[in-house]
Amino acid sequence: MIIKKRNAGTIGLNLTAMIDVVFLLLIYFMVATEFKTAEEAFPMDVPIRNHGQVLTLDEEPLIIFVESAGTGEADLRIRLDGPWEPIGSIDALLLFLKSNKASGFGSSGLFAESHPILIKPTKNTRWEHAIAAYNAVARANYTNITLDEPS
Amino acid sequence: MARRGNPTSAIHANMTPMIDVTFLLIVFFVVVSQIVDRDAVSMDLPAPEHAVAGIPEEASYITVNLVPLEGGDIAGIVVGGHAIASDAMDELTAIVRTRMQGGATDVHLRADRATNYVHVHHVIEAIREVGLTPRLQLVVHGDDP
Repeated sequence: MIIKKRNAGTIGLNLTAMIDVVFLLLIYFMVATEFKTAEEAFPMDVPIRNHGQVLTLDEEPLIIFVESAGTGEADLRIRLDGPWEPIGSIDALLLFLKSNKASGFGSSGLFAESHPILIKPTKNTRWEHAIAAYNAVARANYTNITLDEPS
Repeated sequence: MARRGNPTSAIHANMTPMIDVTFLLIVFFVVVSQIVDRDAVSMDLPAPEHAVAGIPEEASYITVNLVPLEGGDIAGIVVGGHAIASDAMDELTAIVRTRMQGGATDVHLRADRATNYVHVHHVIEAIREVGLTPRLQLVVHGDDP
């Protein structure tokens, strides 16, 4: 018996519609996607006040006054409460904090790691300057840092 | 002279690699778009030099955004997706308290680098009024990879 061979054409799916939809989805996601910028954070405890009363600290805190002197990142004025030499910059603050840190038995440093440090920006201090001061204290490895009410 | 030819044959481009790549791109964008933080308002965060800030722990949190205005003022506050007035501190306290009673432990505070500290302080005081000792996270711009 002779079997008649069929035509050599192949069976193909029509992919055009699917590719159209897939490209539309691709364009949608490319346009709609927003990449989240890398963010980090400084943790800060917010203790409760008893009936509006200010908590008293066991130790006399080191108070750092911060004031903006311009819009630049380094345009800020820093002053320490107490008989300290004037501080000219964030780097000088970091140096002061590191050099006065008690780092164990026999150390001549004045402040322990857990010594309370209050940062007191003025009302109009730019947030970046307050954060710069906070960062300097954290870089010196102090752990008890608080942003206080504006001076 | 009659030309012989196959009348049913047609030239087809091989679409398979293109479809593979396109599907990979779609899967990539679908996965990436899941991690967009819709609570975060676009602003210019502080970026201190040599920051020792860390990536916050994977905890349940609520985000408080101080929407910046020119001159260091704020246009309002966006907290957990709710927009409230810049002086509606009682409302802010109530929203944060509700979210913390629902299991949130951290409050992410986002403020523009040019915002005046007085506005940030009002928000910190409102968060303190919640009374549930939240852990405040002062958000800054991270290091670029």
